[in-house]
Amino acid sequence: MTTSPPAASASTHPAPADPGTTPGGALLAAHDLHLAFGPTTALASASLEVHPGEVLALMGPSGSGKSTLLHCLAGILRPDSGRVTYGGRDLTAMSDVERSALRRSEFGFVFQFGQLVPELTCAENVALPLRLAGVGRRDALGTAREWLTRLEVPDVADKRPGQTSGGQGQRVAVARALVTRPRVVFADEPTGALDSLNGERVMQMFVAAARDTGAAVVLVTHEARVAAYSDREAVVRDGRVREQVRA
Amino acid sequence: MSASTPPRSSWAADLALGARMSVGGGRSGWARLALIAIGVGVGVAMLLIVASLPSVVDARTERTDARSIGSGVVEEQGDNTLLTQIVRSGFRDLGVEGRLLQAEGVRVPLPPGVDRALAPGEIVLSPALQRLMDSPDGEAIRGRWGDTVVGTIGPEGLAGPGELTFYLGTDDLDEETATRINAFGNPDEQGGGLGPELLLLGLVGLAVMIVPLASFIATAVRFGGEARDRRLAALRLVGADVGTTRRIAAGETLVGAAAGIAVGGLLLLVAQHVLPPLVPPALTFYPEDLRPAPVLAALVVIGVPVASVLVTLSAMRRVVVEPLGVVRRSEVTRRRLWWRILLPVAGAALLHPLIGGMDDDSSGDQAMVTAGVVLLLVGVALLLPWAVDAVVGRLGRGGVAWELAVRRLQLESGAAVRAITAIVVSVAGLIAIQGTFGAIQAEAEGDGELQGSVFQAKVIDTRSGAVGQEWVDGLTGTPGVRDVVTSTFTLAHVETDPDQLIGVEVGPCSVLTHETGITDCAEGDVIVVATEGAELPTPGTTYVLGEPGSGGGTWELPGDARSATLGEFHLYLSGLPSTIYVTPTALGGADVAEGYESVLVALDPDVPDAVDRLRTTAADVEMLAYVADAEQGSLTGVLGTARQALLAGTIALLVVVGASLLVNVAEQLRERRRPFAVLLAFGTRRRTLGLSVLWQVAIPVAVGITLAIVTGTALSVVLQGGLSAPIGIDWWAIGLISGGAALVVLLVTAASLPLLAGLTRSQGLQSE
Repeated sequence: MTTSPPAASASTHPAPADPGTTPGGALLAAHDLHLAFGPTTALASASLEVHPGEVLALMGPSGSGKSTLLHCLAGILRPDSGRVTYGGRDLTAMSDVERSALRRSEFGFVFQFGQLVPELTCAENVALPLRLAGVGRRDALGTAREWLTRLEVPDVADKRPGQTSGGQGQRVAVARALVTRPRVVFADEPTGALDSLNGERVMQMFVAAARDTGAAVVLVTHEARVAAYSDREAVVRDGRVREQVRA
Repeated sequence: MSASTPPRSSWAADLALGARMSVGGGRSGWARLALIAIGVGVGVAMLLIVASLPSVVDARTERTDARSIGSGVVEEQGDNTLLTQIVRSGFRDLGVEGRLLQAEGVRVPLPPGVDRALAPGEIVLSPALQRLMDSPDGEAIRGRWGDTVVGTIGPEGLAGPGELTFYLGTDDLDEETATRINAFGNPDEQGGGLGPELLLLGLVGLAVMIVPLASFIATAVRFGGEARDRRLAALRLVGADVGTTRRIAAGETLVGAAAGIAVGGLLLLVAQHVLPPLVPPALTFYPEDLRPAPVLAALVVIGVPVASVLVTLSAMRRVVVEPLGVVRRSEVTRRRLWWRILLPVAGAALLHPLIGGMDDDSSGDQAMVTAGVVLLLVGVALLLPWAVDAVVGRLGRGGVAWELAVRRLQLESGAAVRAITAIVVSVAGLIAIQGTFGAIQAEAEGDGELQGSVFQAKVIDTRSGAVGQEWVDGLTGTPGVRDVVTSTFTLAHVETDPDQLIGVEVGPCSVLTHETGITDCAEGDVIVVATEGAELPTPGTTYVLGEPGSGGGTWELPGDARSATLGEFHLYLSGLPSTIYVTPTALGGADVAEGYESVLVALDPDVPDAVDRLRTTAADVEMLAYVADAEQGSLTGVLGTARQALLAGTIALLVVVGASLLVNVAEQLRERRRPFAVLLAFGTRRRTLGLSVLWQVAIPVAVGITLAIVTGTALSVVLQGGLSAPIGIDWWAIGLISGGAALVVLLVTAASLPLLAGLTRSQGLQSE
């Protein structure tokens, strides 16, 4: 069972069950999050909602807590207090197995340096979430190649990440994030390591592909030109979401 | 969100993914896998060699049994009988043992490996003895048993290719001095077996070999651990839960272990052909003998991967692999002493049967002591990280290289400690076993009669009634022989009580001073010696010389006889509670019937191989005479074999731990490429980096060797006490083993410098 990129006609990967939304229509919500790393307060009563299919940019200066907020929303970090709900379920109360399952099936990630596994080829990297979800190797690799073609990097399929350029690597990371047709994609400075031309190209493809799959995107950036791809901007300062602007 | 958990990959898929990742990663990934394979492979090869020891022993025993004579002994002469006698000799420190054969008919049995009956004077040699005789060094042994070499002994008649033996045809034997047989081979013959001392030492020796190997393999499978943890973090990000990451890590480890087993198998094949020529003659075996016992081989092949996976999973318990990276628990945890000391304390407690000496046949005690030794050695491995932490935490400032090394060790000494654990455990075990062995050996031969004497060799003629002058005439003129004196030993009994036996040795003063240790002696003197607690013969007692019933003359012990104390060695030789040493004049012409000749020989130390030239001449006088020399503790026998086995084991272990250390250091250097690149970028000299690598290896090694010396010496003293051997510390062995280990460290560091140079080349730095 595999999933095809949105351009393909048939989808063979089971679409995740509709997780539902909160009464306010939010797919994912942070409620009054507090988190400190030793003496340093990272989040101080941060609250935020993410709606299905929207592209939300989290902006703010370095050290403002935007990446920490993203990690809490994704269930990677547990806040000291407050709750994160996904489809009405409390993410902060989930076990590691449940949160891992969410990352595998309903969340996708694109980080600044791609976080690709250097030992695997690009196609194997993209196929990885599918294989972890139990899809057979052949099907998973087939779908991965389609995604790489969709993101215009079919030539790197059999190369290892170390043999690709930064832009190619980020497009592979985007393909990996979207291959399971997640409900939410978390992107932390996805173009931070790229030049402006490559950054623009990656963002165009990333957002277009995410919109095609219907995935919501939570995008951490400090660059206005990257935030311009979003539907909504939230500004994080001193660990708190201060402003939310409709783009 | 759905209530059910989404589908997840199967165990097999996770393991397969791990396996795939272990062979990915291009050059770097292959280098890591190669290091693991070599590291595990060397350990596996050693384990397979240990697993082959039963086969080697069985194959050797089968061949030596086939040529033994136990079941073929007969009383009656026949067409198919022959007389045979063993000839014991030697060359330098090697034992040579042959057999005389005298056919009594035309259908005589042939020993294995010999294809025809030998006429008197004809000799067949083992290939090793043939090579020795043909070599320039062999001049002193050439012709010792005649020159009519008619062939070589086939493999089926030899313990191994290095054995020094021969069969010599003769017509000098008679049924009084030889054994009559009608067949070779004795399938039921049981070897003499190992005494309790050697059995215990053997068990301890095996433990000393296997514990470091286990540590060695456990270290090797953790190579590349930091890179693996980073990889697993990336997997966590895309949805792998903790269980999945462990299975993937297990899959990676299994590939390394499997590659290690393959390398180990190849190394065993190499060892089959490389080892036989290198082992001492007493341990010689054929390449095909070195085959692991199936059950033990299966244990290795199954046990190594299983243990490898357990080690990997255990190592992962120290880290929390999260999607954002790796958190090391060990960095914030100080190493505690209390639980590390438990194992060595338990080991020491298990050694309690050794206190006050062990019973000879207590297998339960031996098992307990062996378990105690294993626990003590494993305890050393557990104590080492704590000891290194405790020491490096107190080290002060120094040069840049010193500080780089110390700071690195203070931050994380785990990898450096793991690298040297095997060598430290080996050194502790070897010091214990060498020290114990040295004490046993000193007890057995330290009191040797030729030690420090003016005579350096003794010819023992087992024929009764031999003539001393024959020996003086025969040996005088041999190159390297300066003086030959003879004495005659006989039994005597009190004239009025034939059951009261005593030894009488008749010889000149030079012999008496040599034998009794007295410093002044004149012709006409009589010296009486007795074992501790035995009653001294009473002056005026009349003795009948010779075996009871042999018809020897009578002689009266004079009143001016002196007494002396003898070492145990002499009394062991005579086997009698007391012996009277008599100069010929004091005997007053009494007839010594059927005495045994002893010939003492003074040798010229400037003549090379003088004792071997003496042996060759002595064989000309009497083939069966045995020549013992001061330098030669034990040419043959279990003690000599065990000593050679220990030496071979020590060398093998040091070579293996050296290889282990080299692979470990290489791995540490590879993992630290990036910090090296940074250091070089702001101008650190390569020499400084090299020195820091040396300190990083040398500091833990110094701590470890100190720990090993303390533990090994304590264990040695306890073992000596248990075996009732004289208690002492063998500083020579300690120095030799510690020096060997230090040399290994230096060589390893030197060997790793080219790798450091390669890693810090400008192209390498650019990629970092």
